[in-house]
Amino acid sequence: MSDKLTQDKTELVKLRSAGDLRNTMDAYFARLKEAAETRSRKIAWCTSVGPAELLYSLGFEVYFPENHGAMLGAGKNADKYIPTAVAHGYSPDICSYLTSDIGAFLQNETPLQKSGFSSIPRPDILVYNTNQCKEVEDWLSFYARHFQVPIVGIHTPLCIPDLSPEIIRSVSDQYHRIIPEVEKVAGRKFDMDRFRETVGLSHDGCVLWRHVLEKARHIPSPVNFFDSAIHMGPIVVMRGTRYAVDYYKILLTELEERVNTNISAVPDERFRIYWEGMPIWYRLSSLAKLFAKLDTCIVASTYCNSWVFDDLDPADPFESSALAYSKLFIVRSDTVKEKILEQLLKEFTVQGIIYHDSKTCARNSNNRFGLQNRLFKQTGIPYLEINGDLNDPRCYSEEQSIIAIETFIDQLAGKM
Amino acid sequence: MYRLGIDLGSSYTKGVLVDSANRMVAFHCVKTGYDFRKASEKIVSYFAENHEIEYPAYTSGYGREQIDVPFVSNSELISLAKAVYEIYQRPCSIIDIGGQDTKFIQVNARGQVDKFKMNRKCAAGTGSFLEEIAFRLDVTPEEFTEFAKNATQEVKINSYCTVFAISEIIGMIKNGATLPNIIIGIYNSIILRSIELSLVEDHLVITGGLPAMHPTIISLFKERYPDSDSPEHSQFLAAYGCVLLNNPKAEK
Repeated sequence: MSDKLTQDKTELVKLRSAGDLRNTMDAYFARLKEAAETRSRKIAWCTSVGPAELLYSLGFEVYFPENHGAMLGAGKNADKYIPTAVAHGYSPDICSYLTSDIGAFLQNETPLQKSGFSSIPRPDILVYNTNQCKEVEDWLSFYARHFQVPIVGIHTPLCIPDLSPEIIRSVSDQYHRIIPEVEKVAGRKFDMDRFRETVGLSHDGCVLWRHVLEKARHIPSPVNFFDSAIHMGPIVVMRGTRYAVDYYKILLTELEERVNTNISAVPDERFRIYWEGMPIWYRLSSLAKLFAKLDTCIVASTYCNSWVFDDLDPADPFESSALAYSKLFIVRSDTVKEKILEQLLKEFTVQGIIYHDSKTCARNSNNRFGLQNRLFKQTGIPYLEINGDLNDPRCYSEEQSIIAIETFIDQLAGKM
Repeated sequence: MYRLGIDLGSSYTKGVLVDSANRMVAFHCVKTGYDFRKASEKIVSYFAENHEIEYPAYTSGYGREQIDVPFVSNSELISLAKAVYEIYQRPCSIIDIGGQDTKFIQVNARGQVDKFKMNRKCAAGTGSFLEEIAFRLDVTPEEFTEFAKNATQEVKINSYCTVFAISEIIGMIKNGATLPNIIIGIYNSIILRSIELSLVEDHLVITGGLPAMHPTIISLFKERYPDSDSPEHSQFLAAYGCVLLNNPKAEK
C-alpha cells in the first residue's frame, strides 16, 4: 500500500566517493580537451565495448560516443536533438543514443561545452565492435563520412551459444587486422608490451569493478543500481588505464566500510530487485527516489554487471580480448543469458525482476523472446515489464510506470 | 457509518460506499476532467449529503493522492484484484479495460496477485481508442451498442494505431462495409489487444468502464471464453477493493 509514500524516505545515502568520481571523470575530459585543442595526441572514437585497450596502447586519447549519448539522456536533452536526426533520415525507432548524439552534433551542441569544449572532440579514427549491436557501426559511419577519417571495426557474431575456438580466433584475427590502419593514424608502431600493459590494467579495473558490484550481495546492500550506473563511468571510458584502477580502489574501500558498518544504499531495504535492460537515463534520479520510498534496492543489473571483462589476460592479450568481448552478456544466446541471470538472481538474493523494454534498444531488451516467462518458470521469481526507452522520454509513461512499480512491490509484499 | 472508496481514474472518478458488512451500497461516477481534486470532491459531497462517512477515504488510480479529505492511497491493481477475489473466491484472470489503461491481473487461489501487465503506452486496446474512433465517425459511444445489434458479420481492423485504424475504417466504408459490422470490428480489435497482454489461465473476469458502457464487449469475450463473465458494477471494483484492503474483516 502506498500510504507510506507520504513519509519522506526519499533521502538517498550518497557515496562519499562521488567527489573522486567527479575528479576522475573531469581529468579524463581535460585530457581529451587538451588533445582536441592542441592536437598533441591523436583521438580515437571507440564503441563502449570496443578495443579500447588497443587504442590506449597506441597512445590515443579515447572518446566514447555512447558515454556522450548517456550524458545527453541523463541531461534530459535527448528529445531536443532526436527530431533533428530523424529529419536527416534516421528513424526514431533506432538507437536513441545514436539519434540524440547525431542530432546534437547537427545542432552543434554538446554537454561538453559546459566543460569548455567548443564541440565534441574531432576524431582521427573511429573504431567499433559490433558485439553489442550493428547500430554502432552505422553511428560511427556517420562521423567517418562527416570528418572524412578512417573507420575500422570488429564484427563479432551475435547470439553466441558456445564460445567456440573458431569464434575466438575470428575475433582475435580481426584485432590483428585493424592494427595497420590504427598504427598509420597513431603515427607509431604497435607495441606488444604496451598492449599487454593496457590489457592488464583493463583486467585489474574490471576485477575491482566486479568486487564493487559484488558488495551488493550483502544484505542490506551498500550500493544500488542508480549509484552503479553513474559510478561505472571510469570502467567504460578508462578501461585499460591506471585511472580506472585507482578510482575503483577508492570506491571499493568505501563500500567495504559500508558493509562493515551495515550502511545501506536504501535506508530501510526490504526488497531486492534485479534491473534487466538499459537505464532510463532521464528518470534515473526520480526512479532512485521512488525505489527508496518503497524500501527497495536494485541490487544488480544486466547493464552494470555485464561490464566485467575479467577474462582479459596480459599473457595472451589478443585471444583473451577476443574471449572477454565475445563473452559479454549482450552478444550471447538466450539460453546462455538465462543461465547468467539465474546465477545472478541467486548470488544477489533477488526477490523480483524488472525488465525495461527499451523501445529503441532491441538488443538490450531481453523480454522480447519469452525469456522472462522461462526464467519465471525456472526460478519462481516474479517479474514486471515496463515500457520505456534509454534516452527518448517520449516513449515512456511515467505515471503508468510508477503505478506498475508500486503495484509490483505490493505484489512482492503479498498484499491482499 | 460507511466507508468510502474512490478510484480516481484518468477518464472517470468512481466512488463506492461500503457498509460495515463490507457490502457495496451506493455508487457514483463523474468525469475526471482536468481536476482530480474537483472530481473527488464531487464524489465525497454526493455521498456525504445522505450518508455519514467514516474517514479516511480509501483511494486508488492516477489521482489517488489528489483529494482534500483524509485518505489512504492504494495500488489500483491490487485493490481490483482484492475485490474480484472477494466476489469469486477462486483463482481468476482479470482483464480490466479503462479509459487509458488495459490491465491483465492473475490472482491465485489465496487471492494474491501472481502477475500483472499493463498495456503499452498506446491507445490500442483502451477506451481512448474507441472514443477517438467514435468521435471521428460522429457516433456517440452510447450509440455504438445499438448499432452493434444490427451487425451481420465482423470486419477485421488490423491497425494498432488509432490514426491508422481510422484510415482503415474510412477505406472499409468506401468499399461498402456497414457501420454495425465495423463497430463489431472495433470491439474485437480492443479484445485482441487485451488478450495478448498475457495468457488467460483461469476463470476470466472482465471489468472496467469500457465493458460496462459497451456490454457487447462482454458478449464478444464470451464467444472466445465461454466461462468468462463480468460482475455488476465492475468499474467500481477498484474503489471497492481499496476499502476491503484496509478493512478486511466485515462486522457480522
